Amino acid sequence: MMGKEPGPTLSINPGLRRISRERAHGRTIAALFTALGKASGYTLMLAFVGAWLIPLVWVIGNAFLSKAMFSGSGGSWTFTLSNFERVWKAAPFGIYYGNTLLVTAAIFAVQLVTLTLAAYAFARIPFVGRQAVFMLFLVQIMVPPDVLIFSNYRTINALGLLDTKLGIMLPYFATSFGIFLLRQAFKQFPYELEEAARMEGSSTPGILLRIYVPLTRPIYLSFAIVSISYHWNDFLWPLIVTDSPDNRMLTVGLAMFAKSSEAGVQWTDVSTAVLIVAAPLLIGFLLFQRQFIGSFIHSGLKG
Amino acid sequence: MATRKSQLLLGLGLVLALTGCGSASNNQTGSTQENGGQSGSSAPASSAPASVSQVASTAADASAQDPVELTFYYPVNVGGPLTKVVDGMAASFMKGHPEIKVNAVYTGNYGDNTVKIQAGVMSKQPPDVAVMMSTELYSMLDLDAIVPLDDFIAKDEAEFNKDDLYPAFVEDTAANGHTYSVPFQRSTIILYYNKDMFKAAGLDPEKPPTNWGELVDYAKKLNRDGHAGLEIPGNDDSYWMFQMLARQHASDPKQSIMGDDGKKAIFNTPENVEALQFWIDLSKKDKAMPEGIIDWAATPTDFIEGKTAMMMHTSGNLTNVKNNAKFDFGVAFSPADKQYGSPTGGGNLYIFKDTSAEKQAAAWEFVKYMTAPEQAALFSSSSGYIGVRKSAYDTDVMKAYTASFPQALVARDQLPYAFRELSTHNHGKVSSALTNQIQAALSGKTDAASALKTAQEEADKQLAAFNK
Repeated sequence: MMGKEPGPTLSINPGLRRISRERAHGRTIAALFTALGKASGYTLMLAFVGAWLIPLVWVIGNAFLSKAMFSGSGGSWTFTLSNFERVWKAAPFGIYYGNTLLVTAAIFAVQLVTLTLAAYAFARIPFVGRQAVFMLFLVQIMVPPDVLIFSNYRTINALGLLDTKLGIMLPYFATSFGIFLLRQAFKQFPYELEEAARMEGSSTPGILLRIYVPLTRPIYLSFAIVSISYHWNDFLWPLIVTDSPDNRMLTVGLAMFAKSSEAGVQWTDVSTAVLIVAAPLLIGFLLFQRQFIGSFIHSGLKG
Repeated sequence: MATRKSQLLLGLGLVLALTGCGSASNNQTGSTQENGGQSGSSAPASSAPASVSQVASTAADASAQDPVELTFYYPVNVGGPLTKVVDGMAASFMKGHPEIKVNAVYTGNYGDNTVKIQAGVMSKQPPDVAVMMSTELYSMLDLDAIVPLDDFIAKDEAEFNKDDLYPAFVEDTAANGHTYSVPFQRSTIILYYNKDMFKAAGLDPEKPPTNWGELVDYAKKLNRDGHAGLEIPGNDDSYWMFQMLARQHASDPKQSIMGDDGKKAIFNTPENVEALQFWIDLSKKDKAMPEGIIDWAATPTDFIEGKTAMMMHTSGNLTNVKNNAKFDFGVAFSPADKQYGSPTGGGNLYIFKDTSAEKQAAAWEFVKYMTAPEQAALFSSSSGYIGVRKSAYDTDVMKAYTASFPQALVARDQLPYAFRELSTHNHGKVSSALTNQIQAALSGKTDAASALKTAQEEADKQLAAFNK
């Protein structure tokens, strides 16, 4: 490798020449690595973009293009809205949209309050059994949700909340995952910050609102993504606690097409229903992605 | 430093968010567990008003002639707007019975439906009447959730006319000498074939294979031009396909892979091993079928898209194939070996306990209506399921449907060779013991003999408690 290296020909003394040659060699390698790194970085990025994009493009194609194209038996690439018309009519999607919006937003709103208070308590307020209670919360992260369907159903039934939107939401009002996430963030803060604020006469709620919450905005944002997308897409629990169309969610409309376990999958209908359900989240993310990413970077510099 | 820490934390958060979407919810439901515990003490108090109002409403029913309210759960498993058809049937029932109000509730697919019903039964809030897999019979009996229908059937003997129902569908409505359900959305396994591909391979498109020898022979010939000769799905409930092959290969015309009382599994017999071997050989030896486990839901799509020339699938798929296939297709009995045979599949109507006698009587009226010839014909022609009654095929609706689409008659004509689907106590565990081993054998992880031996041992273990 060394021998083939076209080193500088102009020589002053052998030692110096060797050093400069090594330097040049190092530079080339570094440059090579940078180029390679860049290339592989881009390749990797493109691969991720592709992995993310391909299913989406396929779904959009299936939903908007006429059937012939995707069934592979030749045919034209004609654009059509007839799939949407047919699928939209199959279920009261209008009501479902309203319900999903309401349930998702209300769960998140309540979670914000419970999450902040609980995380602060676990991070900063010493009380007997704090560690034990916190461990209990952590254990809950490991229990699969489907296991709890029966016991939750009984509770909701005992409260007389079957077939209500509150019944869908109630089990999710407290979130140990969110509490865990936020408690860790709160613990990072120097306690002096809080002490200083107290010296200035700030109350505990004031400290929470003016110091803790603003400084952990990225945590709230990442939790928002998790919470909103989970509840937007939740299917089994809302299906089980509700009976009437007035209380049902978008995913129930999707299930009519996607859960045909007896017959095969009818991709056109499934894709169309998927788009109807996922479009608001997709558009929302695309619209606000600058803010999302901006907020992450911003806080990174500040924190 | 702080920056790096918060970035790390953020990274952790995102990783958790990405990998743990499920677990994010876990703890959320998990935290209700606690709520549940706390509210446990207040539960009796808060449930009291509900039961009071219930009493009040039933009292009102009697006095003010309010309609009896029924909750009716039904799953949809064939995709598309079948909910409209069922809701429409419920609406027309109410027109004829103003004294009964039916709340028809769509409950996802069979699996979701069963979970919802079980949750209701365990909380003493069962539906009044529901469509449920015929195979759930023993599980429902173990939960003490359903009522026998013998008295209702006897009372309305002439009107209900049990003998008019196809016997193959009635088999799985009975246990311990009682009838517990009425067939509603039912199917058998049939062979679908692409007539264009038959022609291209030099086969007569009006002569589908009738026996295993022909099946293998045709499938080999049809395995060309980049498409497979045959597909038999092997995932999900592959025990269903296995039941079919096992019966076809059996010398006993009444062969079964289970006991009559739902307490015994008969998986490991020499003939069953041969039947499973035949299935494996279709891919491995004869090269007529793609290797490995073929996906249940993708099989009809493959057929419609011309990726396979033949498939074995449920007759519940007829409407899907009819609407989407761009070529001429035929359907036939699944080919015989020593005999023809196919398990039935699908759901029956059940009436639940823990409701008033008045509601159960109203539920029976509803069941009778939903399975009457006209309704059976309407439901069959809009879904592709087999009409559950002989007389359904004499109605004008059905005559028009089968005249324009004669393929719909094949599944019905196969019924004399049809028999009940695997159904035992502890059904989930017993059937997955078999299904898992079939999949292991199909994917080459084990051989046919040891697969069925393992499945038998596992099933025996799951059934031990019921054989004491």
